[in-house]
Amino acid sequence: MKKYVLKRVLTSIGTLLAIVLVLFILMHLMPGSPFNDEKLTDVQREVIYAKYGLDDPIVVQFGRYVVNMCKGDFGVSYKISKNTPISQLIETRLPISIGIGFYAVARGAVIGLILGLLAALKRDTIIDTVCTIVSVIGVSVPSYVFALGLSYTLGFKWKIFPMLYDSADALGSSVMPSIALSMFTMASIARFTRTEMIEVLGSEYMLLAESKGLSGTKLIFTHALRNALIPIITVLAPLVVDLMTGSLVVEKIFAIPGVGSLLVNAIQSNDYNVVIALSFIYSAMYIVIMLVVDILYGIIDPRIRLGKEGD
Amino acid sequence: MKKRIIAFVLAATMVAGMTGCGSKSSDSASQGAAGAATSTDLNVMIETGVESLDPQQATDGTSFEVIADYTDGLMQMDADGNPINAIAESYEISEDGCTYTFKLRDDANWSNGKPVTAADFVFAWQRAVDPEVASEYAYMLSDIGQIVNAEEIIAGEKDKSELGVKAVDDKTLEVQLNVPVSYFLSLMYFPTFYPVNEEFFTECGDTFATSPETTLSNGAFVLDDYEPAATAFHLTKNEDYYDASKVSLTGLDYQVIQDSQTALMSYQSNTLDITLVNGDQVEQVSADPEFNTIGAGYLWYVSPNIKDVKELQNLNIRLALTNAINRENVTSQLNDGSLPTYTAVPRDFSADFSADQDKFGAYCADDATAAAKYWEAGLKELGVDSITLEMKVDDDDAPKKVATVLKSEWEETLPGLTVDIVTEPKKQRVQDLQEGEFELGLTRWGPDYDDPMTYLGMWVTDCANNYGFWSNEEYDSIIAECTTGELCTELDARRERLYDAEQLVMEDAVIFPIYTAANATLVKANVSGIEFHPVALNRVYKNTVKE
Repeated sequence: MKKYVLKRVLTSIGTLLAIVLVLFILMHLMPGSPFNDEKLTDVQREVIYAKYGLDDPIVVQFGRYVVNMCKGDFGVSYKISKNTPISQLIETRLPISIGIGFYAVARGAVIGLILGLLAALKRDTIIDTVCTIVSVIGVSVPSYVFALGLSYTLGFKWKIFPMLYDSADALGSSVMPSIALSMFTMASIARFTRTEMIEVLGSEYMLLAESKGLSGTKLIFTHALRNALIPIITVLAPLVVDLMTGSLVVEKIFAIPGVGSLLVNAIQSNDYNVVIALSFIYSAMYIVIMLVVDILYGIIDPRIRLGKEGD
Repeated sequence: MKKRIIAFVLAATMVAGMTGCGSKSSDSASQGAAGAATSTDLNVMIETGVESLDPQQATDGTSFEVIADYTDGLMQMDADGNPINAIAESYEISEDGCTYTFKLRDDANWSNGKPVTAADFVFAWQRAVDPEVASEYAYMLSDIGQIVNAEEIIAGEKDKSELGVKAVDDKTLEVQLNVPVSYFLSLMYFPTFYPVNEEFFTECGDTFATSPETTLSNGAFVLDDYEPAATAFHLTKNEDYYDASKVSLTGLDYQVIQDSQTALMSYQSNTLDITLVNGDQVEQVSADPEFNTIGAGYLWYVSPNIKDVKELQNLNIRLALTNAINRENVTSQLNDGSLPTYTAVPRDFSADFSADQDKFGAYCADDATAAAKYWEAGLKELGVDSITLEMKVDDDDAPKKVATVLKSEWEETLPGLTVDIVTEPKKQRVQDLQEGEFELGLTRWGPDYDDPMTYLGMWVTDCANNYGFWSNEEYDSIIAECTTGELCTELDARRERLYDAEQLVMEDAVIFPIYTAANATLVKANVSGIEFHPVALNRVYKNTVKE
């Protein structure tokens, strides 16, 4: 088990470095630079490039970047907030994005679970059909459509929640964006729960438990749901990270000062350091979550642990 | 165990959900931004955030606007965009027009109580040209302001202490210019020329101008809530401002909104007092008495590649192209108040330099008949009967709309012409035009200072923005005469000479001007006195009243 964990951690670090390199090359292949304003003269441009070390060969720039990064220094922003350290920019914004993402996942998972359970238990009834329709809509309609709809109804018409993010009321401001973001998670979890539950409910051990005379609630929660949950946890993890990318547009609609809007602005203005730092953070979160899931999976399901210990 | 985990997650979510809902009643009350009845804060929408509050580092309109909210330069803009005294109480210009002596007012203070001195200006201007600071707008002091030694300092050939500006005493600032600059006073309201207190700057170090604590105000407002790349920030009235009695607003509440639909809904629900309207929304709101179109000073034009494209080297072909455009039709498609333009300098700019739009009607008009004649002659000279041209266009709504109209008008009026539109991200398009990788390019130019030269200066030989590589000796000499030559001080004669230069551009069809852009804006009926300008400071709130 230890060997397996170590191997997975090392692979993750390697993957992260490779990601930074690819990001670095991609950024420099993008047309233009943070400083290709039509109004800059050539002398000026040289002076600015020299100041930020952008005139060095890309290999030198990459080396310097990795060394600084290891010291926790992601450089400064060139454009969207000139000369501000990236860490300072992210510091206040990351918790906001993660907070909204957390609400979205939690809401989506719980509601999705309930819908999926209902659908499985009342299979082939009107309830099942309704749950299926809800989850099809949730999966196929993009989150920004929900966001606009919510903003118009709950925000503009009924004035229940603020349309624009207000830092004095972070929780209230998070309600609409997190609902919009949770729709996809909810729908995916509902569909998955339904399928898993139907499979478990039809299995032989359920028949045995039922024949032992266990009550309905206990039967469903202790025996059926428990077994259905294992695969659900695995799909939930990558959904958490998907939420981060989904939040790019939703943050724009609600004017949320999160990392998503920062990333979009940075890409549009070729603010290299900001783009690389944020993409790196996204990648790191994804890899860490996958790593945790892999390890957890081994712990939860003995069959997997046994299998891994073999290699 | 797992059941417990589930129970925990469930409980946590419910609690979180309830707090979310529970706080809804308090949030509408706590939203100071939502225009509480007692405060007269102006709620302003901006499309992009502040890039920098360092006056010597900022380059974008939003940053300039906010810096100017809390900083006064030597001059400020009046409602018509003319320079009027601000920190300068009076000024003298030497007879040769090369020395400016500004007398600073005694009651101008920074928000930490220290007086604003001439040394603050010297320090700031030296920063602007310091290669270590690498200010993108350093050329405002060199090429445009013509301050002695600025160019050499930027290029690293001289020390910044040799810049032609000195503090004669605490309240007297003397500036030396290489040549007389007729619009020099109007540069003084440009934020690159704003003062910075050296002592305060040194105390702040790298954090200068990144928070309310690291900014000093000497203007109408004081920054009291801000962090880098903020999407919402606030300024409050500066009670110690020398002109405080004239400021009626209690503060400014800025909100960055990138989504135009959200912006419009926020305006309609009274969360905003002023907002920009996207072209597609104009129809919805154009009947509203609160709807305005405000000239943005940007000239949109088509640049033909005269150097590399054989067909475009032919003058008749170029004249045919520029005359075949129906500019009225273009602007009616845009529907945002943009004005059809037939001159190389945009409309409503620099004391209405281009008031007479028919001045060059012989070369540039919406004239399909003339266009057809030029076209026929051009094809004959080239010995061909059809031409295909490619036009590079920004991948944004307005340029794409304009390009589509241009293509259909050209192809309809000029038989045998095919125009292919290539859309690219703006950065790529700019790069292609700079490198001559284009046939026709749809591009724009915004003014840097209040003088036609900000446009006409582009068409001199080898200027980096002369994308078509047009070159004309007579033109170069007129521009030189008006920039550094004898006409610098004779303003009326200079203006006439600039028309001569513009005529050369128009008769040679160096560019095909299309329209002067406008911003579609909504301003609440109870708000008056927001001053809009096409140059430097797009919006000034000092004299704004909200009832």
